[in-house]
Amino acid sequence: MNETIAKKGILPHQSKVALFYFALVLAALIWFTPVITLVLTALKDAGDFARNGAFSLPKWIRWENFSEAWETGVKNYFWNSVIVTSVKVPIGIVIESLAAFALTHMHFKWADRVFTYILIGLIVPIQMTLVPLTLLMNVLNLIDTLPGLTFLYIGFGVPFGVLVMRGFFRTIPTAIIEAARIDGASYLRIFFRIALPLALPAVVSLCILDGVATWNEFILAQIFLRSDELRTLPLGLVQFSTQFSTQYDQLAAAVLISVVPIVLVFLFFQRYFVSGMAGSVK
Amino acid sequence: MTALQQLAKPKPLRPRPPTPQRVRDDYLRFLPWVFLTPALAIYSVVVVYPMVYSSYLSLFRWDGISPTKVFVGLQNYVTLFTQNEVFWIALRNNAVWLVAALLLPTSIGLGLALLLNSKFRGSHVFRSIFYFPAVLSLAVVGLIWTWIYHPDLGLLNQALTASGLKGFTRNWLSDPQIALYPVIIAATWSAVGLPMLLYLAGLQTIPEELHEAAKIDGAGPIRRFVHVTFPLLRETTLIVLAITAINALKAYDIVYAMTNGGPANKTQLLSTWMYFLTYNYNQVGLGTAIAVVLFSLTLIFAIPYIRFMTRKT
Repeated sequence: MNETIAKKGILPHQSKVALFYFALVLAALIWFTPVITLVLTALKDAGDFARNGAFSLPKWIRWENFSEAWETGVKNYFWNSVIVTSVKVPIGIVIESLAAFALTHMHFKWADRVFTYILIGLIVPIQMTLVPLTLLMNVLNLIDTLPGLTFLYIGFGVPFGVLVMRGFFRTIPTAIIEAARIDGASYLRIFFRIALPLALPAVVSLCILDGVATWNEFILAQIFLRSDELRTLPLGLVQFSTQFSTQYDQLAAAVLISVVPIVLVFLFFQRYFVSGMAGSVK
Repeated sequence: MTALQQLAKPKPLRPRPPTPQRVRDDYLRFLPWVFLTPALAIYSVVVVYPMVYSSYLSLFRWDGISPTKVFVGLQNYVTLFTQNEVFWIALRNNAVWLVAALLLPTSIGLGLALLLNSKFRGSHVFRSIFYFPAVLSLAVVGLIWTWIYHPDLGLLNQALTASGLKGFTRNWLSDPQIALYPVIIAATWSAVGLPMLLYLAGLQTIPEELHEAAKIDGAGPIRRFVHVTFPLLRETTLIVLAITAINALKAYDIVYAMTNGGPANKTQLLSTWMYFLTYNYNQVGLGTAIAVVLFSLTLIFAIPYIRFMTRKT
């Protein structure tokens, strides 16, 4: 009897659990401090921030921070990001899935070589492409346009999209595809009627990961957008911060506005993050 | 007919007439390319062709505007390595960043994954909290941490002062001696989520029976980790290390948002210095040469990674 207690340790089980939770909650609080600071700063007035610092509770909640930030330019940035993301993601997914399908279920002799060629894109530092892209976009008259930026995003999205979709398509049994072939279905029909519906979880995962990545992209937007009214959110916010470096309240509100869509997606589709990322390494 | 005659007899040169079967075969051989064309075309134009062209441009002296480029061979690389002081700062910073990235987010991610792998009340909430920074844009992460490091109003200095450690307060992002490290901490905060997620996925593939068996054999938690869990996570660890290293070398936004390479260029990375040389100083040759150096560094980690991803297909 004494021995078993000794083995389990000095503390009784319940206090162990309590200690475990206490440590975990403490760690989580420290981890989340930057986010809490952001929210607190966005809710208080600039004078309050200057007097009482970042981490105090607001004396009163100043909702106007949000409307003012929205009107100062965040509105534009927000809609630009919405437009770019909502055009990029669907187009990207269709072309990436088509490619991934060809690489997995079409008896394609070159599949491995083409896949390796596409994977190179995952590792290329973007700096490696900037100068030629500037020249190219200049020739095509696409500098400082949202379609131009979207075009680049679609191109840069191909490697990751093909990786995720290929990972999923490989799990679809060949027998299903072959059966449909014998029944006389064309590959295009099989792709749209069988493969894509079966891959719905992967499609949703990719939508989310890709959507978040596009929403957050900075360097391409920085190089290829010049005029203020075309800026996407991350670029606009950094610019905002250099222009209004002392208006922490509004800047924090602006940042919070940019984060809200991500938080919503994250809360509702969380499990797809896990399956999507896990799918990309299988 | 002798054998010789038989050999000399002209073979029919006419191709066999296209049977429906042959047309179908050709069509099927061609079809995958049709499916691949949209993706391959845009990817080649946007990623591959610029890569090749950048390598070519790195052999020229060019300001990006004038119609003539002067071929200088490897001179740009020689200049970088022998005359460009900031290049060395950037290279050193990249090395420090890389080491930090290989140690911190990976081990923190593994620790959290081990802690949160077991199902207990609230484990999903904690997973979300620790993963959350990973979904924020690095520009936003940079902005948030810039406030935390603010010399007067920032949380860090205020907390240090409040706990009687006023001597440790710093002007974190303006002190050339240390400015890189606060940026790395901020980057680590956002880089933990991915390793954690990958390790959680990896842990899920380890059968519970193995742990039970080891437990019965009398192995404590530490021995179980060293001899059972960690060896089975080898593959995950390889992926995690490769991806974190590749991402670390891609770092750009967060530095741009937090220090803009300053003070006195002390926080430049190859990626940011490439931007400054190319777009602010019009040194396109030097800029593309930096990009090539950066890419070569990435390849060290990327080649094993790509090998692994294309294995046993």
